[in-house]
Formats: sequence, structure tokens, C-alpha cells
Amino acid sequence: MLSEIVASIIAFSIGSNNTSNAFGVPVGCGVISFRSAILLIGIFVTLGSLTQRKVLETVGSIAKLNSTLILVVLVVSAGMIVLLNWRKLPISSHQAIIGSMAGAGFAVGTAKFGILASIIMSWVISPAGAMVLAILVYIALERVLSRVPVFFAERLIYVMLILSGILVAYNTGANELAAALAPVVSSGLLPHFEASVVGSASLFAGALLLGGRVIETVGKNITTLDPLSGFSAQSSAGLTVFLFTVLGMPVSTTYCLIGGIVGVGLLKGVNTVRVKLIKKIVSMWVLSPALAFILTYSIAKVMLLG
Amino acid sequence: MRFLRRFSFGRTEREVVELFRRHMNTVKLACEVFLKALETDDKGLFNQVCELERTGDRIRREIALKLYGGAFLPAMRGTLYKLAETVDEILDMLEDTAIDYLRLNLHLDEELREMCVRVAKINVKMSRDLAEAFDGLKSGEGLENRTVKIRTREKEVDILRNRIYEKLVEREVSSYWEGKILSDFIDHLVYVSDIIEDAADLIQILNVSLR
Repeated sequence: MLSEIVASIIAFSIGSNNTSNAFGVPVGCGVISFRSAILLIGIFVTLGSLTQRKVLETVGSIAKLNSTLILVVLVVSAGMIVLLNWRKLPISSHQAIIGSMAGAGFAVGTAKFGILASIIMSWVISPAGAMVLAILVYIALERVLSRVPVFFAERLIYVMLILSGILVAYNTGANELAAALAPVVSSGLLPHFEASVVGSASLFAGALLLGGRVIETVGKNITTLDPLSGFSAQSSAGLTVFLFTVLGMPVSTTYCLIGGIVGVGLLKGVNTVRVKLIKKIVSMWVLSPALAFILTYSIAKVMLLG
Repeated sequence: MRFLRRFSFGRTEREVVELFRRHMNTVKLACEVFLKALETDDKGLFNQVCELERTGDRIRREIALKLYGGAFLPAMRGTLYKLAETVDEILDMLEDTAIDYLRLNLHLDEELREMCVRVAKINVKMSRDLAEAFDGLKSGEGLENRTVKIRTREKEVDILRNRIYEKLVEREVSSYWEGKILSDFIDHLVYVSDIIEDAADLIQILNVSLR
């Protein structure tokens, strides 16, 4: 029961923080109201969580753990997510969960190195892929939009912003939420359908209660981007995460979105990219799974000794 | 829900475009009425220009309400509203010119009147070009040609203004106020073309705003 509660807390946290990935740009651009964004998130996260199982299976197969260690994995992950969010440091929920799962797995000797290696490779490739894709999307769109009347271009951008928001919301259910639910589903604590429904409901609650604040922050920051750049970054992140979801790899929408923004920034000139901020994000990208790994590994070892 | 309303293929946006078209047509009509008034010295027609300015005001308010009620992406809203304000300014300027004329109970000598009529004729042509340039935003055609024409015509007005001033300094006036109002009348008349050019620039900015 405790594991399910902690998994729900993680889902709640994904809802409060990752809502902005899906609709931060459209809400910031004034394309869609916060209420409509939350409604679409609720629908498409549930759909993503129910229809995709590959990521859940991959994360679940990182290590074979008993229910006590699953609880440790979830508590460490949830603790890290809450703590780092409170310190306003960027953290991907699945990096914490996977780092933690791997730590527990190595402590008990059930970790599968091959799966871990392919996940880590996905973490490296996905933001880079989103960056390249954002550049290609931007160039292609710029060409298309220069050939159509401006009012038609405006309508096109509007529809595309909504569609890419929907895609990211779907990915959030199919990838981010799946990773959070994987420990409880793989250990047999909850069947997939029930876990998806409970997880989606918790995520929806997080988005509804706390998502507005994050959306507002992202929206205000993102509106400095023009709609074309915002869309290029977001859609490339959405497409990249969707591709990795189909391949069953847990990747972070946040990092892909950052990759997309950097891509558009590089296209507009290296000076537009804030290198200091990127360094901070990259260091957190390495540190958070490492910290989760060390913490869970240590706790599991102490428990085994006891 | 705003989302569903926006998804209904841009009904609000179409309404805004239609309002802009009415706004531009009002400017066109006001320029034409002003020209006719100047040619015929018809005071009633000058009053009609003032009526048209009030119509323009109403349209601008409607545009503002629809824009800030959620029509178009915010990236375009500011420029669209600025365009509505600028188009309204053209009407304000025409109204000021008409009032100057009425206030002055002006008697323009033939040569001066003929030059003023020429400026008013150019204003009519520029207002037509402006309406067509705005249509170009929707169809994607002819915008560049129209804005170039507007700039060329504005230069013609500049040349005429210099000639009018050369003529004015030779003219005797009976009082300070007659001179002041006559000078204002000429300033306002030639300034119309400047504002039309500003509006054309905004249309060009809109055209590249999402690219």
C-alpha cells in the first residue's frame, strides 16, 4: 500500500512539474487557456499510460526487487524529486527512479547492465536528437511559412502548437508516468490498468493544483521565444520522446525540450544560448541519477547487512 | 471554451479581418468624400468626413475588444492593434483637416486649391493601395507592390507640400488666426499621406511577424 502511495506522490509531482512541458508554450502564447490545457493533459496522459507498456516493461526489467526494496526505490526517488524541486534544480523523475532502481539492483546483484547501458545511451542521444530535429523543423517551417499568407501561417502555428502539446501530454503518460509506475507494476503490487488509472489521476491532480504556477513561469520565460521557435523546440521534443517511447526507452521530455531550445538558439546564433545555464542543467543531468544510485545502493546494502 | 472557439476555424479572426476591411473602406470613403468636398467647396461633405471619423472610432474599439478577447496569436495582436490605431489616426487627421477648412471658412485661390486637390487625389489613391495591401495579407499577393506604390506616392506629396509652402509664404493673411488655421489645414492635409505610409509599414511588419 505504501509503495502505491509513494508512486502516486511521484505521479503528482510529474503532474505539477511536467504540465509545462506539454502546454507551457501554448498557454504562454495565449493559444489555449490553463483550464483547457489541464483537460487535454488529463485525457492524453491517461491515453498514453493505458496504451503504451514498453517503457514500463523496460524500467521494470532493470532489476528484480522485492517489495521492501521497491518501497526504498520509490521513497528515495520521491525524496529526491521533492528536495531538488524545492531547491529549484531541474530534475527528471525517471532519472531519479532509474538511478534508484539500478542502485538497489546492484546492491542485491539483480541489475541488468545491458538494459541500463541502453537507457543511459538514450539519455545522451535523445536531447541531441531533439536538438538536431528542432533545427530541421525550424528550417522547414520557415520555408513553408514564407510561402503562405500570414493569416494562414498564424492558423497553422496555432493548430500545430495544440497538436504538439497533445503529443507531449501523451508522451508524459506513456513515458514519464510509465517509468514512475514501473516499480509497482513490475513487482506485481498493482496491475497495469489500475496503476495507470491511479497514476493518471494523481498526475492530473498535480497538474490541476500546482501546474498553473509552473506553466506561468515557463510561459513567461518561453514567450521571449517567437511562436515558430517555441513550436520547433516543443514539437521536436515531442517527436523524439515519442520515438523513444515506441522503442521502449525512458527519456526525459524536459531534457529533450532543452535540447530543442538549444537547437533553435544555435540556429539563431551561439550567443543566444546561455552556456552557464546549460552547464547547470547538464551537471544535474549527471548528478541526479548518480545521487539516486548511491543513496539507494547504500540503503539497500545496510538493509542487507541488517 | 476559448480552445473550442479558436478551433472553429478562426471565426473570431475572420471577424477581425472583416472589421479591418471595413476600417480601410471607411478611410477610402473618407478620402474620396474629402476630395469631392474640396473640389466642390461643399460644407455638408466636410461634415460627412467627421461622421466617418466616428464610424472609424467604433470599428477600432470593436477590433480592440476582439483582439484582446483572444483573437490571433499574441505575437501578432500588438501589431494588429497598432494598425487599427494608425488607420484610425488617418481618419482623425482627415477630420482635423475638414474642421480646419470649415473653421477657416476658407477661400483658397485657384492655384493653391488645385495643389490641395492634387494632394487629396493622391490620398485617395494611397487609401485604395492601403486597402489592397491589407487584402494581400490574406491572399499573399500584391502586398509588396502596393507598399512600394504607397511610398512613391508619399514622396509625391512631399514634393507638393514644398511647392504649397512656397506659394503660402507669398500669400497675405488678414489675421494671425487666419494664417494659423491655413497653415494647420495644409499641415494636416499633407500629414494624411505620412500616416497612410506608417500603416503600410505596419502591414509589412505583420507580413513577416510569424516568419
